[in-house]
Amino acid sequence: MKKSQQRDLFPGALEMMILRTLKRQPLHGYALVQHIKRTSNDLLQIEEGSLYPALQRLLKEELVKAEWAVSSTNRRVRIYRLTAAGAKHLQRQVSSFERMLEGITRVLTPGES
Amino acid sequence: MIWFRQLFSRRRLYDDLSEEIRQHLEQKIEELVAGGMSRKEAAAAARREFGNLTLVQEDSRTVWRWPSIENLVADVRYGLRMLRKNPGFTAVVVLTLGLGMGANTAIFSYINAWMIKPLPYPQSDRLTVFLSHDTKKGWTREGLTSTASFLDFQNQNTSFEQTALWTGWNFNLTGDGAPALVEGGRVSWNYFAALGVKPMLGRTFTPDEDQPGAGHVAILGQGLWQSRFAGDRKIIGRNIKIDGESYTVVGVMAGTFQFPLMGLANLWTPLALTDKERADRGSSWFTAFGRLRPGVTPERAGAESAAVFARLEMQFPQTNTNLTLLIDSMTDEIARKEGAPEVMICFCIVGLILLIACANVANLMLARATNRTKEFAVRGALGATRGRLARQLLTESLLLFFFGGAAGTLFGLWGMRWIEAEIPGHIRGYLVNYGHVDLDFTTLGFTLGIALLCGLVFGLAPACENSRLTLNRTLKEASGQASGSNRSARLRRIFVAAEIALAVVVLISTTLLVKSFVISVRTSPGYNPANVMVAQLALPKTKYAQESRQRNFSEDVLARIHALPQVVSVGAASSVPFGGFGGWAEVEAAEKPVPQPGERLGATFTAVSPDYFSAMQIGLVKGRMFHSADTQGTSPSAIINETLALQFWPNENPIGRELRFGEQHTVCTIVGVVRDIKMYQLRPRPERQMYVPLAQFPSATLGFVVRTAGNSTTMATAIRDTIWGVDRDQPISSVEPLETLMAIVDAGNRILTKLMVFFGALAMFLGVIGIYGVMSDLVSQRTHEIGIRTALGASPRQVMGLVISQGLKLALIGVAVGVLCALGTTRSLATMLYQVTPNDPLTFIAVPIVFAVVAAAACCVPARRAMCVDPIVALRYE
Repeated sequence: MKKSQQRDLFPGALEMMILRTLKRQPLHGYALVQHIKRTSNDLLQIEEGSLYPALQRLLKEELVKAEWAVSSTNRRVRIYRLTAAGAKHLQRQVSSFERMLEGITRVLTPGES
Repeated sequence: MIWFRQLFSRRRLYDDLSEEIRQHLEQKIEELVAGGMSRKEAAAAARREFGNLTLVQEDSRTVWRWPSIENLVADVRYGLRMLRKNPGFTAVVVLTLGLGMGANTAIFSYINAWMIKPLPYPQSDRLTVFLSHDTKKGWTREGLTSTASFLDFQNQNTSFEQTALWTGWNFNLTGDGAPALVEGGRVSWNYFAALGVKPMLGRTFTPDEDQPGAGHVAILGQGLWQSRFAGDRKIIGRNIKIDGESYTVVGVMAGTFQFPLMGLANLWTPLALTDKERADRGSSWFTAFGRLRPGVTPERAGAESAAVFARLEMQFPQTNTNLTLLIDSMTDEIARKEGAPEVMICFCIVGLILLIACANVANLMLARATNRTKEFAVRGALGATRGRLARQLLTESLLLFFFGGAAGTLFGLWGMRWIEAEIPGHIRGYLVNYGHVDLDFTTLGFTLGIALLCGLVFGLAPACENSRLTLNRTLKEASGQASGSNRSARLRRIFVAAEIALAVVVLISTTLLVKSFVISVRTSPGYNPANVMVAQLALPKTKYAQESRQRNFSEDVLARIHALPQVVSVGAASSVPFGGFGGWAEVEAAEKPVPQPGERLGATFTAVSPDYFSAMQIGLVKGRMFHSADTQGTSPSAIINETLALQFWPNENPIGRELRFGEQHTVCTIVGVVRDIKMYQLRPRPERQMYVPLAQFPSATLGFVVRTAGNSTTMATAIRDTIWGVDRDQPISSVEPLETLMAIVDAGNRILTKLMVFFGALAMFLGVIGIYGVMSDLVSQRTHEIGIRTALGASPRQVMGLVISQGLKLALIGVAVGVLCALGTTRSLATMLYQVTPNDPLTFIAVPIVFAVVAAAACCVPARRAMCVDPIVALRYE
């Protein structure tokens, strides 16, 4: 199970989506995963749990930081926000991803050679 | 430093994580409940959506760790717990590995001491020895072709920084107490400098002292200095009496200095070659070694030597035809004399034994892992990957092998001490560090290395095999024993067959070597060594310069010993079998022309008293023994052995023929033929032997053989006193039973044989344990099946036959493969065998049969258990 899911997303994809989401606004884990699922129209079958190892990696590399807060529903939550390094990293990742996507698209598009 | 901070803040990180995930699930559940689900349903749905909770936590934590190291620590801790939980299994494995690795450690310690460690001299890799070589006949021997040729080479070569001449020497030390025979050497002045050693007191010799007439200086060994001169520091400059002459002590060498080629040495004097010795082109009493110039290889020096000797051959065809000087590394030469080839054979054999032990252990691990399938299935279900499980298993086996290595070090240490204790004192001087070996870092590293290597290689198979089973066995597990893993069982059978094959190879090899030894000891030496005492001495040249004095001395001693009570007979010889002296002469039939230089044949040459043959009980084949008429003034007579008679006069009667021998081309008449005797080795090739009367050819070296009626040991004192009765100042080198002398010469083979017996037994034991283990495991795995068979009417006899035939089939396959391998490998033992061919039919038939019988017996135990299986219990057993 774990393996097939990993295969669906290329390495770093989840991190990129997390960074992009956090760039818009700081969020806690649960809200983050709901947001990603919602905006992707559930096309990406992400196990909610898989978010946490990714968040730990980002924390370790200091691309995001986290602090405890109390949510609107009066729940102790951990709010993640992007650091300057994280923003820079996101920019690099996105541009390289776009290049890759463009390359793949060109190959996949039939027509003039 | 982030990692450092993380190391200590990890507990908090983990707590945060758990809390966060808990809150996540709570929130999810709340939302789902709000959406109309029951709380129970919501909890399940939340968990489902979340995925594998444990794995997520695990993966998240892993981010903060050094997974490899921390997993290793966890695996090691878990492994240790598992080993502690199965003390029986652990003990068997550690013991098996310990025996295998211990044997390897002990043997390797000698390889290390003799072949790897440099000799205890500075830059010892530049030291070489010189060996005589005959390019036509092909022989190579120690010593120089001739003194003059070597001096020419010494002057002409450009390869050597220094070359030194030496010869072992027994000095008669008188004054300062009882006369003593001191072993030592006569050495050229630069002997110590060429080795690179310095005296602890005083100085070494000067070039001036190495001149004839000027050489009355001596260097003492620390041992002699302390025992005879009480460690007197004012010894330098003092005069001592050596061989009846006065010598000035100039230095003392530390006890740590040793030159194994010379043997024990406690006294050195300058060689001081006379002009006659310097001009000797026919022979040499001396041995030489050299120190190469920096950067010069032995090969280059060898090429130079070949060139020099080619020139000498042109210049002196009479003496130098076909002769050249080979150059060999001193380390190799010493190792060869110490028994390096035998040690290498031992090393091969213990290597095989280690393989057997490892296969055994791999088998045990496979068997145990089969019983742990459930554990792995659970761990797999909890999310452990196959690689992770394999790593865990591998860690466990590495742990086992590590403990095996530790046990092996202990066993090895014990083995090293045992071997060392077996080495007789007489030959220790010829061994580096007097035969003492230490457990140094190289040896420890070797043991640890093989433990690690074997752990990896032999741990890998069980690790892969068991991690493979995990997933698809989870469901099958319920159906119990019937699903017994076929792959694993096949692997185990292959291991056992291979193990038996290896054991057979070891057993055949060791049997061949042991058989050789038994034959060499059992075959008659040509005389009867029982109840014979041998007293050896060397008459000082100064006091006994005239031959008449030598003759009188020996005749006087013979008469007095003969008069002693309990003496049956007594004889004297210039050299006795297995004694310290020897004689050799070039010889040919006198009716033939003198052969070309380099073509003359050699024979051992012994001058004997008339009663020598009867005292030794050497059998006469033809003619007569010497008698009192063979004396000075009458024409020289000789007695030859059967080999010489057969080679010189095949199908003819040699009695009355004449023999020409030695440099003086002395001619003597053959009066008798005696049986071949073992002179220097217990495993001789047929050699030519000749004897002449001591009365006609007096000798300064003498061995008295005394055949006694009773307890020979009490005779030693009587013999000593008798000799001192003739000459109060005459030191006696030894008075010992002939059997002891023979045992000393054969000490190496004796140790080798004892080791072989042990190794053979060990290989057999391990092989049999292996087949027993597999069969008894097989029986317990098939209890269910056997129960069904019995229930269906199989008789106990049939069940027993089933098990034994299966075990025997395995054993026979192993034995057959082993015999085939042995046929190919025993040839490498050829040089170490005596009157046994490498493919000795008896050994190749007997060993497999014995092995098969023992293996069948080992199968009987599990077979009996199978026979007693109660079908009701077996079928109920799940």
